[in-house]
Amino acid sequence: MRISKFAIPEIIFGRGSIVHLASCAKRLGARRVLLVSDQGLVGAGWVERIQEILRDNGLEWIFFDAVNSNPRDNQVHAGADIYSRERADVIIAVGGGSPMDAAKGIATIVGNGGRINDYEGANRIMRPLPPMIFLPTTAGSGSDISQFCIITDVARQVKMSIISRSLVPNVSIIDPLVLLTKSAELIISSAIDAFAHAVESYLSLLSSPFTEHQALKAIRLIAHNLHPALEDRSIEALENLSIAATSAGMSFSNAGLGIGHSLAHSLGGRFDVLHGLVHPILLPPVMRYNLPTSVDKLANIGRIVCGPRMCSNEYIAQAGIAWLERFCADLHVPVRLRDILPDSSCLEIIAKAAVNDACTLTNPRPASWESLLGVCQEAW
Amino acid sequence: MPGKGPSLEDLIGIEHSKLGFFQELRQTIEALKDANAQSTQRRREIAAILDGITDIMMVLSSDLRILSVNHVFRQTFPDTPHPEGMHCYQIFRGDDQPCPNCPASASFATGDICRETAIFKIGGKNTQFEMVASPIRRPEAPESHILVFKRDVSREKDYQAKFYQAEKMATIGMLATGVAHEVNNPLTAIFGFAEGLRRRLPALKETVDPQVMEDVEDYVATIMRECRRCQDIVTTLLTFSRQKTVSFAAVSLNAVVNDTLKLLRSHLRQRNQAKITMRVELSENLPMVHGDEHQIKQVMLNLLVNAMDAIAGPGRIIITTFQSSQGAVCLSVEDSGCGIPADHMDKLFEPFFTTKRSGKGIGIGLSTCMSIVKKHQGEIAVKSEPGSGATFTVKFPVNTDKTT
Repeated sequence: MRISKFAIPEIIFGRGSIVHLASCAKRLGARRVLLVSDQGLVGAGWVERIQEILRDNGLEWIFFDAVNSNPRDNQVHAGADIYSRERADVIIAVGGGSPMDAAKGIATIVGNGGRINDYEGANRIMRPLPPMIFLPTTAGSGSDISQFCIITDVARQVKMSIISRSLVPNVSIIDPLVLLTKSAELIISSAIDAFAHAVESYLSLLSSPFTEHQALKAIRLIAHNLHPALEDRSIEALENLSIAATSAGMSFSNAGLGIGHSLAHSLGGRFDVLHGLVHPILLPPVMRYNLPTSVDKLANIGRIVCGPRMCSNEYIAQAGIAWLERFCADLHVPVRLRDILPDSSCLEIIAKAAVNDACTLTNPRPASWESLLGVCQEAW
Repeated sequence: MPGKGPSLEDLIGIEHSKLGFFQELRQTIEALKDANAQSTQRRREIAAILDGITDIMMVLSSDLRILSVNHVFRQTFPDTPHPEGMHCYQIFRGDDQPCPNCPASASFATGDICRETAIFKIGGKNTQFEMVASPIRRPEAPESHILVFKRDVSREKDYQAKFYQAEKMATIGMLATGVAHEVNNPLTAIFGFAEGLRRRLPALKETVDPQVMEDVEDYVATIMRECRRCQDIVTTLLTFSRQKTVSFAAVSLNAVVNDTLKLLRSHLRQRNQAKITMRVELSENLPMVHGDEHQIKQVMLNLLVNAMDAIAGPGRIIITTFQSSQGAVCLSVEDSGCGIPADHMDKLFEPFFTTKRSGKGIGIGLSTCMSIVKKHQGEIAVKSEPGSGATFTVKFPVNTDKTT
């Protein structure tokens, strides 16, 4: 077994844990915070709640919400300019993956200078980043746990993966109560995103006993809690989805992902599609592609989602994939690539871009651009 | 994978950790400490250099507002503890508009170093300043500032004046000595032969008409009297000009007046034809003054010459000696001349200040008087009504130990 590593931020988890935000920030030296969020959060009232907490604790803040889903390089630079100009200190990001990834990008530029695409790839960040506190409001992206940051390079139409231990935030505050205000679509996309993280990182070449455990736990929690969460917004179910997303985050941050995410990044760079909605489409064909190398692990997943059976690993692995396809179809989300793309002519470009993605590296079965194209065609 | 892509080892990142601030912070703190120590040291050095500058120094903005000043400035203007932001002409002139020949304005206009000399009244005392204005160029700031140095050159000017006077007196002294010798010799001969004539007069008395004899005796007596007077004048001339070390002794102001008048008699006689009347009112029982006779004579001479120069046509000069109610021994010279304009009053005693046309004087007379009188712990007061004359009064403290 190869030497592994497991790194996660300080995690504060629990209903109402949001109130600890200000004391955490102060401990990290905050006086004037850069608060990164997006307009959706403002509408839901969470930004107001956070500003109230900051105000009550005598902290100043600068609000930066010029972030859309799939944050762009120019937004990162704009945020870094504001940070410097306003002499901010601690960065607090509230929201889904986009504000948190934008915050990571901003922190990278603030600490290291240059352009964000200078840091594309692994371990290129050489100087410390300002302290970061993240409050995920979707149970899915895992960005509040991970050492990954995905920023869209507008000129190249590519989603850049930036990987560095420095991108792990100092503190992640996860309050499941935040999920109460989420739309069904957002709960679904987040949960499927977390599910994909769990599956891919479980299969990953870098998975270790420490990540595998977290991945399987996340798979079990999502399989059992997504429908209850959607049906009656049960707080227990939502909390379990939160735990699942965090566990999946711990797993993929340390074990890496696979070609499903390579293709998702490639699609996201070219077509501004919601990250979580790509996985119901891609994950089953990706699992099938990896079956030859990972039949035992896929069987473990099958037993979790379908229940224990007396059958071959091959069979239960296939049954798990079929379960997943049914599970997604029941969620009434697009399950074919043709539903979200204009035509199939772009698939080759998508596949060729995805082969260079860092996630391709950890995929258990080596993948060329042709094999990625095959996965896409299967998903079409 | 293409060249720059990460490897599996990169993704595990055993060698990479979340970068902390600790080491960098510690280094930064150390670096800041060093930088702080250095800048403190540099500041001290600069402060020592600045403290060593004995000139008034200030930095002005383009509208002549004071931006910063040095400690000499604060010493010079103790009543203006916060000059920053004020206009420099407010402080130096009490004026509300820039001075005419402002070197700072010139420096702003030309971008060059500009010099100027001017007299400012500071703390009730006229002080002559030599000013140097030099632009401070800073590439990062578009607006330029001017650094102005003001050096108090009053004392230098004073010394310069004394030097001129001393040189003049030395020359006169040399001339006078020569003249005295040249005149003394023929005088001795004239006096000798007159004496011879007087001795022979009794022998001639029998043979000459008594009427003629009386005339001859009278002529001889006159020749001898005038000879003695000439010798007196020569001696007085020598006392004026002979270079002597300053020696303080009991001096009679009345004698000084008489001696000076003796010296100026012919000059006065010429002026008398232009109808200058001279009245001398010397107080009897005037106490002696403790001082240097030659120097006091110079004061008297200068005042008298000034008085005569102030009168263009007919006029009068009154010379008075008296003792003031405070006991000071006073000498006053009053003239009915042109008087002194109010704006000249401040500058009267400045070295090289003169209203006489060129060739008539260089403006060191009154400044010399002032320095002599000061040396005698005395003072000079001026009263003047422009157009109707001026009165200079010199007061000496009474010679307490040797009152006669």
